[in-house]
Amino acid sequence: MSAYYRNNGYEEDPDYPEYSESWNRTRGYLKTQDYPYSPGLLNNSDFSKTRSDPYSAGSRSSDYPRSLAEPDYIGSWRTPYHPGLSREPDYSESQQSPDFAGSRSNGNYAGSRTNAAYFDSFREPDYPGAQGNSNRPGPRVSSNYPDSRTNPECAGSRIIPYRDTLLEPDYPEAANQFNPSNSFGKPDYPNAEDYWDSPNFWGEPDYPNAENARDHGSSNDHTPQMTRKVLSRMSSIQPSSHHEGDRPLGILMRENAYYPESIEMRSMEMGSPYGHSMSGAPRSGYVNPAYVGESGPSRAYGHPPYGDGWHKSPQGQKLIASLMSMTSRDRMKAIRNQPRSMEEKRNLRKMVDKEKSKQPHGTLELSCCAQCLNSISLAYRRPRSGLSELLDSVSLWQKTLKVIGGKFGTSVLSYFNFLRWLLKFNIFSFIVTFSFIIIPQLTVAERNTLRFTGLEFLTGAGYFTDTVMYYGFYTNSTIRHRIGGTSYHMQLAYIFTIGTCLVICLFSLLFSMARYFRNNFINPHIYSRGITKLIFCWDFTVTHERAVKLKQKNLSTEIRENLSEIRQENVKLTLNQRLTRLSAHLAAWVVSTGVAVACCVAVYYLAGNNSEFLESHRNPGAVLLLPFVVSCINLAVPRFYSAFRLVERYETPRQEVYMLLIRNIFLKISIIGILCYYWLNIVALAGESCWETLIGQEIYRLLLMDFVFSLADSFLGEFLRRIIGMHFIKSLGLQEFDIARNVLELIYAQTLVWIGTFFCPLLPFIQMITLFIMFYVKNISLMMNFQPPSKAWRASQMMTFFILLLFFPSFTGVLCTLAITIWRLKPSADCGPFRGLPFFIHSIYSWIDTLSTRPSYLWVVWIYQNLIGSVHFFFILTLIVLIITYLYWQITEGRKIMIRLLHEQIINEGKDKMFLIEKLTKLQDAEKRANPSSYALERRDVEQPSPFHAWGHDAAHDLRFRQSVQEGNPQA
Amino acid sequence: MGNKQTVFTHEQLEAYQDCTFFTRKEIMRLFYRYQDLAPQLVPLDYTSSPDVKVPYELISRMPELKDNPFRQRIAQVFSEDGDGHMTLDNFLDMFSVMSEMAPRDLKAYYAFKIYDFNNDDYICMWDLEQTVTKLTRGELSAEEVSLVCEKVLDEADGDHDGRLSLEDFQNMILRAPDFLSTFHIRI
Repeated sequence: MSAYYRNNGYEEDPDYPEYSESWNRTRGYLKTQDYPYSPGLLNNSDFSKTRSDPYSAGSRSSDYPRSLAEPDYIGSWRTPYHPGLSREPDYSESQQSPDFAGSRSNGNYAGSRTNAAYFDSFREPDYPGAQGNSNRPGPRVSSNYPDSRTNPECAGSRIIPYRDTLLEPDYPEAANQFNPSNSFGKPDYPNAEDYWDSPNFWGEPDYPNAENARDHGSSNDHTPQMTRKVLSRMSSIQPSSHHEGDRPLGILMRENAYYPESIEMRSMEMGSPYGHSMSGAPRSGYVNPAYVGESGPSRAYGHPPYGDGWHKSPQGQKLIASLMSMTSRDRMKAIRNQPRSMEEKRNLRKMVDKEKSKQPHGTLELSCCAQCLNSISLAYRRPRSGLSELLDSVSLWQKTLKVIGGKFGTSVLSYFNFLRWLLKFNIFSFIVTFSFIIIPQLTVAERNTLRFTGLEFLTGAGYFTDTVMYYGFYTNSTIRHRIGGTSYHMQLAYIFTIGTCLVICLFSLLFSMARYFRNNFINPHIYSRGITKLIFCWDFTVTHERAVKLKQKNLSTEIRENLSEIRQENVKLTLNQRLTRLSAHLAAWVVSTGVAVACCVAVYYLAGNNSEFLESHRNPGAVLLLPFVVSCINLAVPRFYSAFRLVERYETPRQEVYMLLIRNIFLKISIIGILCYYWLNIVALAGESCWETLIGQEIYRLLLMDFVFSLADSFLGEFLRRIIGMHFIKSLGLQEFDIARNVLELIYAQTLVWIGTFFCPLLPFIQMITLFIMFYVKNISLMMNFQPPSKAWRASQMMTFFILLLFFPSFTGVLCTLAITIWRLKPSADCGPFRGLPFFIHSIYSWIDTLSTRPSYLWVVWIYQNLIGSVHFFFILTLIVLIITYLYWQITEGRKIMIRLLHEQIINEGKDKMFLIEKLTKLQDAEKRANPSSYALERRDVEQPSPFHAWGHDAAHDLRFRQSVQEGNPQA
Repeated sequence: MGNKQTVFTHEQLEAYQDCTFFTRKEIMRLFYRYQDLAPQLVPLDYTSSPDVKVPYELISRMPELKDNPFRQRIAQVFSEDGDGHMTLDNFLDMFSVMSEMAPRDLKAYYAFKIYDFNNDDYICMWDLEQTVTKLTRGELSAEEVSLVCEKVLDEADGDHDGRLSLEDFQNMILRAPDFLSTFHIRI
């Protein structure tokens, strides 16, 4: 400890030459590197030989450190606290203490990270090993090499003397010795030095100005870093001794397995100093295993001085260079995605900015245009972020969602997210329709003469018929307020607005679907159904105390279930059982399909007879019969389907949920399909006046009735269920939120809205309001009546599935319906914007005709005739799209094969590694037998790997990282 | 956006915006959350970048963290010194990584750190046991715990070295699509 202090102390000394720091560091690193091998040195009198390997990288790259390191060994041996023997018992002892994690990680790692706290770790009683290790500078300082040790920083300035006096005789021999066994084969030492230095990020002579930039604060930290390394190395032994404490070999293996990494890292760097470049992928900083192995531990703890240092290393430089070539947005993104601490990121940003600002003067490569763009992007950055903030403030219910997530977890949250997403969708549609259809129409609106009774809110008829709500109210004329002023063609506005709305919906659906698929089905065929996801996918969103407890309980139940499944895996079903199960499925399908068909038929007949029924009943409320029946079906039948689970037995709950979803969606979509058929084929052709408005009213009623039923269900059904579950039939317990059913209700309503937008442009607005209310209602009901789900739900995958459902039967169905309406149906003769036309689409035709008379718009006509109206164009387009799809599909197939191969390779190399380790252990045993020494030393030998051992390990790692290192390695 | 705040200079805010996944407003909100943790400790003026740390005891009392079984690990991983005491930078870092916008690799990297209890850059048997114990509040028997850990290693250990490296972990996370949404703390 005192040594440490001294070390820090003298580093803080402002006088010593700047560049010697790097020496100091290098040396320190080497020492910590070499240290474990020192027993080997003593055991074998062949001093230089044993040293040869561990040093091979370091010693050759820089001679001086070695010269320093050499006496150190002796010094450390003399000192009483050599780690060798004391280490093991200490660790095993500390392992037994229950609060190992706490004290260890708190005390030591913490301590090792800042200077102030640093000393704490040394006060820790059960760390003599670590202390011994890190204190090594101590004995050195106090032993008999006065001039080298009292002021080691002078190393730099005293290069020559050192070499001459201390090491000259030893060095050549050592070099000769280890040359044959040298796996790195790097003849040019100066280079090797640079490269070797680089992975340590400790600043190096190549970057003098970086060195200058280093401030006082950063300079005093190298030693802690080294020690931290030592500490972390020591700590890597801890877990192994925890498990295999009684087997020294285990420790040895563990230590070895960890230890060569730094060497391996070095060897990689040496072998291919630039092969390792960032190549524009800043992420590789933490994707690359070697990087993580070396720089991971320190980096993750956000050591500020370290942060100061790393970007001066080649990696840092390369990173900066790669960042420089990016656009400012990409650069920000890349910086953000760095797994570094804020301080480091900020430094990185500053560096890049500095370099960037330097660049134009230096190279003048940036063209004027690019500069212009640059300045524009800079200027617009502020408003843009302001805009995003504004949008962000619109994002509703952040707090409520947080509470829901905290109490019920991600799965239930996904329902509310979906709801919010739909709400945004509808807000957007409303804004579009409102601004382009409704406002222009309002400016020419006539007085509404119909009486308002209040029942209209339910039926949508009566007073509302003559408002902007329905198709029939819109004019077919051109709106022009002043003679000669701009005119507004209502017909075109109507069709284009609805069309644009749908197209934008289509694309946003497509994109969000694609995003979800990309995120959630990256590799579906290797989806792990195992226990791993339970362990590592703890829901960090859950913050409510009770919810956390419940979740923990559920998780342990689930783990237990999973385990029991594993234990009695594959209980083969008898033929009889399988037959029963199959017949149950079959029966369930037959019944469910039958029910759905029966419902459809009932709706169809009811709708068909509706007009007669309305004739006989003059009551305006009679129109509510059809929506009432439909809503009843929607309420009752899904529950009936859910009851099937009593009969059917599915292997996994997921299967059950999917089956339920498929049946429900089948029911709902077929009901909507039947209604559409009825509207388009019966209502539209019946010759009623203004049939579009009638359809609009029907849709409005359906939507409203559905909403009322949902409200009632939430307030009454779920509430009653809770009362029953809590007070009467206790065995039922609290219910769980049925995400699938609720989401399907949303999808159903949204489908209606999309269909209805054409007939009732105000429908998105109504849906907006209902969704808004639904959110609060569901939220209250959720908080009062439900408990968190007991099963771990694949929420994100479900979300993908929901959006797929929304897209596939729902949205595509809507598109088909509207296409039929626009291309095949005759608009009613005396109302609506399209009155008098044979088909809706004729408005476009006549528009094109008008345009073709004006020469300045001929390009529009050309585009229409050759692209949009042309079959050939679409034929070719389809062909191209198909070809691209096919190509992508093939690429995907190829990638799949590649993934499989790579996976096999990983497994094989793991086997290689195990094999080599085994072989090495054997070799080592043989060596030990051939080279008998005293028991105590042998023990040390076992504990601290002999150089030969480590070298062989290097070979093992070389196998793993086959980059360029192999050629020099004789054993490989 | 009335720039009434005097907590940060414009450059500071810009830097924060570039280094985190937050907007300016969110940064300010987070700052006030941070300041609320220890009003007497944290000054309302950060223009001179004071070196202030909020102790772990206060951090862990945040409603977002207080019931999280991994709160200690989270604080340790993100704090500068690994002791859980956090500067504002650490605090922002933590929530930035835990935010919705953070990419999967970044999240996976820090998740790995969190689950790596002994900081040896591998999730070994012992780390797994800790994780399982924390997750289940010690409801499983020792035998079950070890069985679970074996199973996890069995499933996720790509190179069969008896522990999970970062790549193993990332690979495994790829197969668990829920990870992105669950490794998320709302603020």
